[in-house]
Amino acid sequence: MTGFQIPRNSLVWMLAAQIAVIVPHVPRLPVWVTLICVGCGLWRVMVYQGRWSYPGRWTKVVFVIAGLVGIGVGYQGRVYGLEPAVALLVVAFVLKLLEMQHKRDAYIVILLGYFVAITEFLFFQSIPYALYTLFAVVLITAALIGLNQTQSHRRPLKTFKLATTLLVQSIPMMLVLFVLFPRISPLWTVPLESQAAKSGVTDRMSPGDIASLSLSPELAFKASFNGPVPGPSQLYWRGLVLENYDGKTWTRRTNLTDGIWRDSQTMPVWAKHIERLGDTQSYSIILEPTRQNWLFSLAAADLSANADIAMLGDYTLAYVHRRGVTTKFKYAVTSDLEYRLETDLSDEVRQRTTNLPSGSNPRARELANLLYAAATSDADYVNRVLIYYADEEFVYTLAPPVLGDNDIDEFLFDSQRGFCEHYAGSFVFMMRTAGIPARIVLGYQGGEYNALANYIAVHQFDAHSWAEVWYEGRGWVRVDPTRMVSPERIQRGLESAVADENTFLANSPLSWLKYRQLLWLQDLRQQLDAIGHYWDNWVVGYNPRTQLEFLSTYFENINASRLGLLMLTTFFVLLGIVALFVLRTRNTRLLTAVDQQYLRFCQLLAKQGLVRQTGEGPWSYNERVSQTRPDLAPVVTRVTREYTRMNYDLGAPNNSKALKKAVSAFRIKALTANV
Amino acid sequence: MWRSVWFQRWLNRRLPPANAVILNQSNIFILPTRQGVYFLALIFFMVLAAINYQNSLIFALAFLLLSLFMVSILHTFGNLSGLTVQAGTARAAFAGEDASFSVRLSRQGERHHEAIVLGWDPERLIGADLIEDEAALTRLFVQSKRRGRLNPGRLLIQTHYPVGLFRAWSWIDLDMAAVIYPRPVYATELPTGVGVNQDGELLQRNGVDDFYGFRDYQPGDSLRHVAWKSFARTGDLLVKEFAASVDRQVWLDWELFPNLDRESRLSRLCYWVVTLGKSDDEYGLRLPGLEIEPGKGPEHQEYLLRELALFELQPQAQAGKT
Repeated sequence: MTGFQIPRNSLVWMLAAQIAVIVPHVPRLPVWVTLICVGCGLWRVMVYQGRWSYPGRWTKVVFVIAGLVGIGVGYQGRVYGLEPAVALLVVAFVLKLLEMQHKRDAYIVILLGYFVAITEFLFFQSIPYALYTLFAVVLITAALIGLNQTQSHRRPLKTFKLATTLLVQSIPMMLVLFVLFPRISPLWTVPLESQAAKSGVTDRMSPGDIASLSLSPELAFKASFNGPVPGPSQLYWRGLVLENYDGKTWTRRTNLTDGIWRDSQTMPVWAKHIERLGDTQSYSIILEPTRQNWLFSLAAADLSANADIAMLGDYTLAYVHRRGVTTKFKYAVTSDLEYRLETDLSDEVRQRTTNLPSGSNPRARELANLLYAAATSDADYVNRVLIYYADEEFVYTLAPPVLGDNDIDEFLFDSQRGFCEHYAGSFVFMMRTAGIPARIVLGYQGGEYNALANYIAVHQFDAHSWAEVWYEGRGWVRVDPTRMVSPERIQRGLESAVADENTFLANSPLSWLKYRQLLWLQDLRQQLDAIGHYWDNWVVGYNPRTQLEFLSTYFENINASRLGLLMLTTFFVLLGIVALFVLRTRNTRLLTAVDQQYLRFCQLLAKQGLVRQTGEGPWSYNERVSQTRPDLAPVVTRVTREYTRMNYDLGAPNNSKALKKAVSAFRIKALTANV
Repeated sequence: MWRSVWFQRWLNRRLPPANAVILNQSNIFILPTRQGVYFLALIFFMVLAAINYQNSLIFALAFLLLSLFMVSILHTFGNLSGLTVQAGTARAAFAGEDASFSVRLSRQGERHHEAIVLGWDPERLIGADLIEDEAALTRLFVQSKRRGRLNPGRLLIQTHYPVGLFRAWSWIDLDMAAVIYPRPVYATELPTGVGVNQDGELLQRNGVDDFYGFRDYQPGDSLRHVAWKSFARTGDLLVKEFAASVDRQVWLDWELFPNLDRESRLSRLCYWVVTLGKSDDEYGLRLPGLEIEPGKGPEHQEYLLRELALFELQPQAQAGKT
């Protein structure tokens, strides 16, 4: 069927590369597709061994249909996402293995291999994945080299070594391009969207939502402060503001996109209602992919000079692209921790933040009215409600009981066991009952400080909800009722707050974070985290903005043409250095190994007093030596014969070993003769 | 056409004919292959993906591959550079057969050279490796068309090693030439009364009535005389020989074939030189302006064949490789 037989060296590495490239995708691939991959690989091995032939046209059609159906069924028909696209690429990649009739096909397999390798980065970008993918690229390159070796070359390890050498030599130039190649914003929005679950806090809150999130050890974001890090009670990472309440669930205002403030636009009226009163903090946040639009910041944040970020009417920051944050997203924020927000409350917001659906939770309303009647001011009322939480036997727990229709009544008077959403929800309910504007804020609180790399790591279990109450003349003020019940939660985090009930990360027995009490493990984890942090900051988070920041610290007046010139110059200087390295052996040894051996022989004879005359040919020299030293004649003649044979007989196997042997034999003879 | 006259002239100036050539930057050409272009396209798509997904690691990998592409220039060039290509022997052939040329590749220094491909005919390239050995002798074949001196032209020596993204090559003129003898054409019989021995006795060779024996097939033999039965049995091509008597001295004369043109006469004379070379006969050759006394032995035969090959040809070599 075909005359082309793929070289063994290439096939070995091609199959190895294929396994290496596909394995990390397997968890996302439908089982069918994985089975097709295995089947194609085995078939190709059988073809190589000559047991089977290439599949016929119809077998291939069956494979293709099986692959397509596998993808369609496996992703339940949602075939426009990122994962199905990658799965399709993987299927094409393995099926092409069974169609390698020409060298051209083998090249296509290899090029597809490189492409499948990079798709892994669409899902994961940590150091282990990067190293692994680099290893896979070495394997693919080895297959590429094998393809260009002669059939007789049967040393796969040497091929692998050469692939490594080539890539190692490429790394300096890669670094230059990585740092200096002008990074630009996306050319078009990518239609493919990953179907990976959205993570982190959601835009609605009902009892139990945050408690379940708090079981997760996943990282939410990291924040690096330019100055000293504020204390934990200051670290309220504001994400979303929930103003609408339907009696059960809290949601955001519906007209969120009205009058948003983007950097390029003029400041809307509401945005002028931020009074910045000091304690300015500058920090940057690397947000893990959430596939959501909300961003986290400390109140009161300023709009940073970043085209990807807008400020919404509830003074939270948002990522403006519709698909949300799909890769790690780094942004810089400046916040004034002393502030006054919206002292001039609009009727619309006041109406919304005092609204309660009528009828539900009568006992809570009764309590609120009682406390409000006794209070001297709004602030006094807030204090009385907080004292109620402190005085009653409330328990802060990750395992609250399930509540019925009048959930706030049940929580406040019966179960009295709850997580932050119970406290914040019931608190805002009571505020609104008294006609005081109040709303829920969702986000994270606290975080773990890593002194090695000076950042705060905020995990999903740091998710938190609290309240904002509006006072005449002071605007929105943060009030956290959870603090009254469990001050440890605010000061020392969730782990100590729920230390007694063993619910911390109960579903993640293997999480590093669960073993924080082991000090050495804690140190190791912090070191690894610190390395990961620099990686996220400088490698994964290297985007148009960070590039500009980084380069302007070294170069003044950086612009595209200078950058390009600098990039090309360093690139080719490095290429020149590699060239010296690659081609270095060219003229170091002008003599061939054969000539070297003969010269050594002449030197040895010279020591015996028989110096070769200028212009004396090997045979005349041989004759003279043989006459003077008949004892050496046989060994000398042997050397001369080997030398002339190798130098002048074109058909002789040109291998200096025979000559070397002859010279050694001569040397031994000469030494023993002298004794 | 790229191998135009202008290009040939430029090549001749740049790479003059020489018996041995050391390949270096002055005589190696290097350009991306089709695969190399595809590879660049792949990198382009990777960069697009990296831009649109704002994915630094995809950028990094795309740049790594771009650097690999550039580094492979050095390796492919280095695989050819430093090789010494030396003309070996050129073996004569009959017109229409393959002339064989040996070429010796040797390396300087430690650097290995792998998957070197060379040849005159792009369809018949031969591969060579210099990994353990410091030199390799390759035998290359070129189909000859007509008698004379066959200069195979410029030798193509090229490599795609290691990654196939670039092709480094050189066209070198090793100044080799093979003598191409005329195509032997079977002549049924020597016209009577011409081949005369010293005793004045008429030659009656190649009679059809007297079966003489078998001998190996040689170019120019009539297929009618091939012993097909024996071929079917043993696979050896034998020819039935019919001869009447054996003489000791034969004159192969230009005038033996009066009605034929020059090339046809040479072909028939060539046949007889080959045939008589296998006998014990002495034979001489008479061509216009040339007379070679009868003799025998391989050297004598080669001398005659050579004269037949070069008869009335301009001293310069037959141009072109085909």
